[in-house]
Amino acid sequence: MDISAFVLFWAAIFTSNILLTNFLGMCSYLSVSREIESSAGLGVAVIFVLTVTSALNWLVYHYILVPFDIVYLQYIVFIIVIAAFVQFLELLIERYAPALYYTLGIFLPLITVNCAIFGVSLFMIIRNYNFLQSIAFGAGSGIGWLLAIMMLAGIRRKLKEKMVPQGLQGAGISLIITGIMAMGFVGFSGIVQIQ
Amino acid sequence: MTVLGDIMKKTPNEKKILAKMQPGIITYGGFLGTDKRSYLQIIADDEKALEALGKTAEEIADRLEFFQQKSFDSFEASTVVDDTWEVETEVVRGYLPCPFLHQGMYRKSYTTVKNLKSKKSFTFSALNIHLIRVHHFFEGKNSHFRMEPADLLKELF
Amino acid sequence: MMITRILTDVALMSAIGGILALIMVIAQRWLSNYGEVSININGKRELKVTGGNTLLSTLSDQQIFIPSACGGRGSCGACKCKVESGGGPLLPTERPLLTKEEMASNVRLACQVKVKSDIHIHIPESIFNIRRFNSVVEEIIDYTYDIKGITFKLIEGQSIDFKAGQYVQLESQPYEKIKDKVIRAYSISSKPELKDRIQLIIRQVPDGICTTWVHKHVKVGDKVNFTGPYGDFYLRDTEADILFVAGGSGKAPIKSILEHLKEVGTERRMTYFFGARTRKDLYLSEEMQAFEKVFTQFEYVPVLSHPETEDNWTGKTGFVMPYFKDAIRDPKNTEAYLCGSPGMISAVTKSLKEYGIDEDKIYYDSFG
Repeated sequence: MDISAFVLFWAAIFTSNILLTNFLGMCSYLSVSREIESSAGLGVAVIFVLTVTSALNWLVYHYILVPFDIVYLQYIVFIIVIAAFVQFLELLIERYAPALYYTLGIFLPLITVNCAIFGVSLFMIIRNYNFLQSIAFGAGSGIGWLLAIMMLAGIRRKLKEKMVPQGLQGAGISLIITGIMAMGFVGFSGIVQIQ
Repeated sequence: MTVLGDIMKKTPNEKKILAKMQPGIITYGGFLGTDKRSYLQIIADDEKALEALGKTAEEIADRLEFFQQKSFDSFEASTVVDDTWEVETEVVRGYLPCPFLHQGMYRKSYTTVKNLKSKKSFTFSALNIHLIRVHHFFEGKNSHFRMEPADLLKELF
Repeated sequence: MMITRILTDVALMSAIGGILALIMVIAQRWLSNYGEVSININGKRELKVTGGNTLLSTLSDQQIFIPSACGGRGSCGACKCKVESGGGPLLPTERPLLTKEEMASNVRLACQVKVKSDIHIHIPESIFNIRRFNSVVEEIIDYTYDIKGITFKLIEGQSIDFKAGQYVQLESQPYEKIKDKVIRAYSISSKPELKDRIQLIIRQVPDGICTTWVHKHVKVGDKVNFTGPYGDFYLRDTEADILFVAGGSGKAPIKSILEHLKEVGTERRMTYFFGARTRKDLYLSEEMQAFEKVFTQFEYVPVLSHPETEDNWTGKTGFVMPYFKDAIRDPKNTEAYLCGSPGMISAVTKSLKEYGIDEDKIYYDSFG
């Protein structure tokens, strides 16, 4: 894929937003966007995990799975790598940055089941990104995810005082809002070709 | 799927608050009684009821605090307010935390207000006043300290 | 071939999984293990402990009990202590409970500070007297419809050293649907001369976890744990006249003080005002009347605010404050000991000051 890592980074945030364009990472996005502080904490953790796991999974794929011809096991291996990394990160943060641990530590276990993480690793393989591109893509996707959840959290905060019809409260109205935001982001599509 | 749905549906904070509302954690009976609704739903339903009645939760909390203060002023023996209400407060040693995760402890004072005309009485603690004023939370159905906003409006104002 | 292919791939998969698991175990050992560290207390005592836990729990494992009203959850601020060095950065959970002066002088919350390296702390000497006790319920007396007196006998040769007027923190056990223990404070109602047992006077609190346990489940012979003694409410050793004011379960520390004075003897002039609602709220009246015979100058004055007609009450009624006048002979030589709610204490203090009693001679144990 002949695209500079720098452009890929910006594309991952805006034109190919992992959540609003590819609809990955919706579960925790819908539930955690109820509180703005939690959304910020989770978003930052997602950026971290995405950047590092893209790099790790790229290395594991190209130096272990391909040489040993076990590419078909990539799904299981990627998930295990993600889970192990998240666990490791939690231990590290608890030891060296206890203040940070209290603010965002509880969200790390929640990230392991976020499909955006897994999705990004798979995308980079399918699209044949090189190492630098993968890291840029991972970081950009994370920032794009943070952007999406903060927007929804802000809108939901404003909605608290408004009258939403009974049947649409909660998930219903959030999905409608997400859909409208996604339509807005469709305006970006085609600007940059990243696959 | 339901397990995952459960993990996904509540934020970590909500799960912690729900855990604190269970019987035996802060109070013997807990804050939810036999109610099957989530605490957020209970708050939303009560807020709707209040809006229909034309009073805010803050106004109710202020009124409850007014009665509590009147009985404090009279050394907590029972006292009659405006010839209509008999109020009495009992305080025991110790403090209770609020289930809503923020810091701060609330004294264990239990105020009973009785409407002398209708003979209906209500008992509430200092924690209840805080829960109503700040969190708009009146506790779940059949919980020990549950008070219906409609009843409070009718009897205490 | 198929079989070799399957076996190699499974072996590779297991190797990947195994290596990751190994990395995790090593990381966990290295990152979460703080090894042995030392806690230096007041520059005098040095404890060697295993790191990784909070200061509060590490010290309590070493039988040093820093007071806590919330069980170490960071809600009450009772566990404040000075951490001169080694406590790590101030945590966001501590900030709301500390003043600017406290933060500037290294005051921290012991339940939030994690012991990860050598640490120097400073705590008041009185804390060293606080211990954990194991006991067995020896006697349960029903004083009124909602008040019980429970005697706890210490086991394993333990003995407790306290001043009359102090309180302990009792640990309730799981029961019915309640799965956790809770910690609640009660004043000691027995005399300090009895060192192998204590009595607590416990009143049923609406929806209370510990009092429901005590009133409905605790039986003679049950094992119960508590820590103590806590508090700075105790009799001052002077010859001044005394006014006691305490109603309901506030009678407990007064009973302890009176029993202690009976033991050591006193000529001080004392009056005890016991405020209650109706006759059925009165208890231990015979004991109080017996004290009137033991002491040369002790008067027990129960005052009912709402006696019922069937009570046939001929004693004093209303609030206790108007009756102080007759009990005070020299306001400059009178001390007052109050135990009860902050509302009562502030109302009574105001009245006592109006009678001319010095504010620093008014000692109180406030419930809230």
